[in-house]
Amino acid sequence: MQCEEVRPRLDAYLDDELAETERALLRSHLESCPDCSPEIAALKRLRDGIRQAAPDYRAPAELRSRIRFALRREAGVSAPIASRAPGWLAYAASLLLAVAIGSGGTFLMIGDRQEDTIASEVIDSHLRSLLATHLTDVASSDQHTVKPWFAGRSDVSPPAVDLAAEGFPLIGGRLDLIAGKPVPALVYKRRQHVINLFVLPASRGDRPETLGRQGYNLRRWDEGDLGFWAVSDASPAELTEFEHAFRAATGG
Amino acid sequence: MAWIAERRRQSRFETVVLPHLDAAYSLARWLTRNDTDAADVVQEACLRAFRYFDSYREGDAKSWLLRIVRRTCYDWLERNRPAELVPLEAEDDLNGPARPPPVAVDAGSLLESRSDLRHLDRLIEALPPQLREAVVLRELYELDYRQIAEVTGVPIGTVMSRLHRARSALRRRWERKG
Repeated sequence: MQCEEVRPRLDAYLDDELAETERALLRSHLESCPDCSPEIAALKRLRDGIRQAAPDYRAPAELRSRIRFALRREAGVSAPIASRAPGWLAYAASLLLAVAIGSGGTFLMIGDRQEDTIASEVIDSHLRSLLATHLTDVASSDQHTVKPWFAGRSDVSPPAVDLAAEGFPLIGGRLDLIAGKPVPALVYKRRQHVINLFVLPASRGDRPETLGRQGYNLRRWDEGDLGFWAVSDASPAELTEFEHAFRAATGG
Repeated sequence: MAWIAERRRQSRFETVVLPHLDAAYSLARWLTRNDTDAADVVQEACLRAFRYFDSYREGDAKSWLLRIVRRTCYDWLERNRPAELVPLEAEDDLNGPARPPPVAVDAGSLLESRSDLRHLDRLIEALPPQLREAVVLRELYELDYRQIAEVTGVPIGTVMSRLHRARSALRRRWERKG
């Protein structure tokens, strides 16, 4: 094989795109030719250089959330269906829903219809808040700013505590709408993850539980007459850690 | 119960497509050269993909998504930065042209990359998008020619010649400063 036949095939040789016979011909030429062997060496150097120099771009967590939310809206299911239908019908629908999509995701039934509706709405609110236009109404890590802000705005007064020392800095607070009622949401961060903590009237006084849905994790617990719903794409373990830190700081 | 079908479809889409979100974002980032624009393009592409999801057949979901992301990027560039979409000449020249490809960047960023030529990633960014994507898909995604042809919608011969041109241009600029 002559150099002028080899040169145009060097890229394909490097990329392992030649048929075996052609590849063998090139290999033997490259082993002996003082002009062509530096060429293939330079191409390999370039490849190594590119792989080292190229930044490893990864989709931000916030984009993932944004897309999930946009998909839900596109699929026409952003409004929780169960909350619109009355009584037994809603229950039947939520059962059906769980069966229908059980294969595709990490949808967990809560068992209790009302709880389930709240879980859906809490996740919807979490997603809405991630659209960045409405993460906080009051942005502050100071509990003496955040807590009074809710006074008169909602039925329950949330115990706002900064948990920066435990790795969950308080970002602020927001008034959200759950089951048609204004509900305080405290906003925390865990590294790049946003944690929304919704504070509702206590519902069952049961032990805490963790639920996962569509890539989001939900940790709920009751404390006195308040019910807490923490939702995030942080891991279930981190949400449990969050619950413990929050309860320790609020004396629960 | 149309909503159940729609919900299933969405759920299946998330299972099939979202694992490739990093790959989608990375390609959009290389083509738009900007974090915010890349995120917007990827979101738009995912919605498009969701609408076309019925046309997806079991197979290479990553290539399928990348093809849509790439198309969305080019539509976006056409709308927002048409100057960057200069057609390449002599596309079918399999033996590779000797001339350097046109570089679709302004003089400022070109100067900057000259003063800091060691930064190969800047040199890749300075390539026209058709050559840039060929290099990125080959060297970083490690796709073979057939897959690159599928994602970019050009014949395999064109993939070869674009890769050759891209590498020649990169080598000229990278090796020059030694």
